[in-house]
Amino acid sequence: MQLSPNLPTGSESLPRLDKGARAWELEPHGHFWRASFMAMGSPCELLCETDSKADAQMLARIVINEAWRIEDKFSRYISGNIVDRINSAAGADIKVDAETAGLIEFANLLYEMSDGRFDITSGVLRKVWTFDGSNRVPSESEILSIMRHVGWDRVSWTRPVLKMPKDMQIDLGGIGKEYAVDKVTGLLREQTSVACLVNFGGDLAVTGPPEQQASWQIGREALQGPSASPSSLIQLQAGALATSGDTRRYLLKDGIRYGHILDPTTGWPVAGAPASITVAADTCVQAGMLCTLARLRGPEAESMLVDEVLQYWCTWP
Amino acid sequence: MTRKKNASISATLATATCALLGTAPAAPVCAQEIDRWDFDTSLLYYGEDNSRVQDASIGLLATRDFLDDRSLSLGLTVDALTGATPSGANTQPVAQTFTRPSGKSVYTTPANELPLDDTFRDTRVALTANWQQPLGRMYSFNVGASASKEYDYTHVGFNARLARDFNNRNTTLSAGIALAMDDIDAVGGAPTPLSPMLDVGVLSNRMDSESKDVFDVVLGVTQVFGRNTVAQFNYSYSDASGYLTDPYKIVSVVDGITGDIVPRPPTPGVDGPSHQFLFEGRPDERVKQSFYGQVKHYMSGKVLDASYRYMTDDWDIESHTLDLRLRWPLGSERYLEPHLRYYTQTEADFYTVGIVDGQVLPAYASSDYRLGNFDGITAGVKYGWKTRNNHDFSIRLELYQQRGDIPANLLIGNQAGTVSYPDLDAVIAQFAYRF
Amino acid sequence: MQKMILRVAALVAVVCSTGCSSLGVEPWDRDILAKDEMQLVTDPMEAATDDHIYFSKEASSGGRGFGGGGCGCN
Repeated sequence: MQLSPNLPTGSESLPRLDKGARAWELEPHGHFWRASFMAMGSPCELLCETDSKADAQMLARIVINEAWRIEDKFSRYISGNIVDRINSAAGADIKVDAETAGLIEFANLLYEMSDGRFDITSGVLRKVWTFDGSNRVPSESEILSIMRHVGWDRVSWTRPVLKMPKDMQIDLGGIGKEYAVDKVTGLLREQTSVACLVNFGGDLAVTGPPEQQASWQIGREALQGPSASPSSLIQLQAGALATSGDTRRYLLKDGIRYGHILDPTTGWPVAGAPASITVAADTCVQAGMLCTLARLRGPEAESMLVDEVLQYWCTWP
Repeated sequence: MTRKKNASISATLATATCALLGTAPAAPVCAQEIDRWDFDTSLLYYGEDNSRVQDASIGLLATRDFLDDRSLSLGLTVDALTGATPSGANTQPVAQTFTRPSGKSVYTTPANELPLDDTFRDTRVALTANWQQPLGRMYSFNVGASASKEYDYTHVGFNARLARDFNNRNTTLSAGIALAMDDIDAVGGAPTPLSPMLDVGVLSNRMDSESKDVFDVVLGVTQVFGRNTVAQFNYSYSDASGYLTDPYKIVSVVDGITGDIVPRPPTPGVDGPSHQFLFEGRPDERVKQSFYGQVKHYMSGKVLDASYRYMTDDWDIESHTLDLRLRWPLGSERYLEPHLRYYTQTEADFYTVGIVDGQVLPAYASSDYRLGNFDGITAGVKYGWKTRNNHDFSIRLELYQQRGDIPANLLIGNQAGTVSYPDLDAVIAQFAYRF
Repeated sequence: MQKMILRVAALVAVVCSTGCSSLGVEPWDRDILAKDEMQLVTDPMEAATDDHIYFSKEASSGGRGFGGGGCGCN
């Protein structure tokens, strides 16, 4: 079974199922059922190895509800949720719930592990950087002024209370998708012994190996987008894969390509990083963070991966 | 907030993730990248009506993709041919007897029937090999070899192609060359061009084995015109030199007024041709140029494939080919693909229906219908489906029809009523399986 | 005729490599172009079979790739 990230163009077999304005589709796919939907700005899918449409529907609902719950809770676009309350606190103390505390604690640890390069307060840099393939690069003074509002070390975090200076913002986009994949995989394991694969826009995990074939087979284009070479396959029996790539969003100026991952210590995009990194790890969060940490090292990405990761794939631009 | 140094990143990350998710991972990760083989197999039947050519063939193409966009493909095809083909002689109101190419016996065509030569072209085996790899970031390189063998023909060839991407890989320019070296070892020996067909047992006008070299150059550009459209334009130049004649094809010697076949006095005690026939002779060089354009366009699941080719050569042949295909998906696992092809060509400048008895022989002459003036129409449909484990099956059925005519200036006397282009009706049936 | 053909071919090549810089898609929009059925030769086996049949029955060959042939049929 080979995967692609594209939603099916017309599933004639079943009618679309709607949940308010959000839709999802369920269709048979060989001896699997495939549910597809949009979440966290990416095309998402669930593949489960069952002949029972009823089972597939139940599992799909679990996955989709959890994905949308996480999106609604941690998306910076939804007003009134915890992230919005933190970002509008203007210096006041905010007490967060256990799940949010867990994520913030994790982000804190990643900040230290990466010597400050992984920083959830760096989201405001997008006010001066828009990655649309054009050549509009901000000036040094624009970057200096926005950098006054970047820096996790300016934030006071004593679990469960967060106090952030005015004009600073947190963005959990760098952890959110991988976290959702792992939470969903955990729920699936509790519910069923059916082999499932969860793929949220290229970040994916499996509950176990399929029964009717040796392993899940994942084509490169499922991870890196349609421009990747489809020639090789990754066989996955257990664990997770995450991909970090700048093929989709970048700027091109004077022949220099600026990838969309920004270095919070400088305010500039990481230079000289690989075009795409894929990492296999026990969980999607680990895979995703290893990808990001490697990418933040720019040209040294591969040497970090060689030391730390058993299985990774790197493409240079 | 103190900064930790010198602790292994993945170990620290594993502990942190455990804390975040609240559970340890279910199993350690198990992932490998694999190279894979793809196989393409096919069974083909081609059959013409009226006891003409029939071909059954089995084909296998194995492709192995390696890491970094390199790939190897190997192909094997075996063809078994039977049946008869028009010899170039014309339908006449009298029976005609011919000596076989082997020179060992004769065969007779009844009056008012198209003379067919059933020289047994038995089995052909063909092999191809191709290697492709990138050269640096923007170039890709292809090199290949081919060889085939049948009882009277051997072919060996090499080809190479270089391609470069431009404009964010939206434009690709390519240049390729190919060289073929073929040997013809005709049954009985290739006859001296335009020499007469002789009695059984007489092989005095036969030559030793002949050879033919073909040199091809193809220049191409591929362009993406949008999310749904891609097109290609190719210019090809081909130069064939050596023995380009068909050793088994003949031309009739005809009366200058009536246009009828001229009888031949028999040699006592020996079988031989009933009338005068000459073996055909073609130039020893042929330069062809082709212009080919193709567009593929995606329209909500359906794909239209349209192509046009114009060919011109120094034998004065001109042809146009228009090919249309529409892939029509039926659900996500099946499709239907109707296909229409229209072909038209004008005759070679040495194409003739007969050489006038007594006149000076032309330099070159051939009555081979494949160098004549005709239209060919193919209409067919292909049906394909994908199995549970992602293998592809397809079957196609097509009808190919050739209808031609002999230009009036080539017809003499009675020929207008007796001689016509040997129209062709053939069926093509193919079953393919990719896995 | 020869000169005109060469000029046209050169013009097409130049136009496509410079004038077509505004034509085309970004790498992330190649999803449809990557589909099997959108490749210029979707079925190499069928293409090779047809090339061989028409090479044997007509006076033209090739166009899309090399001239084909390599058999005693024409």
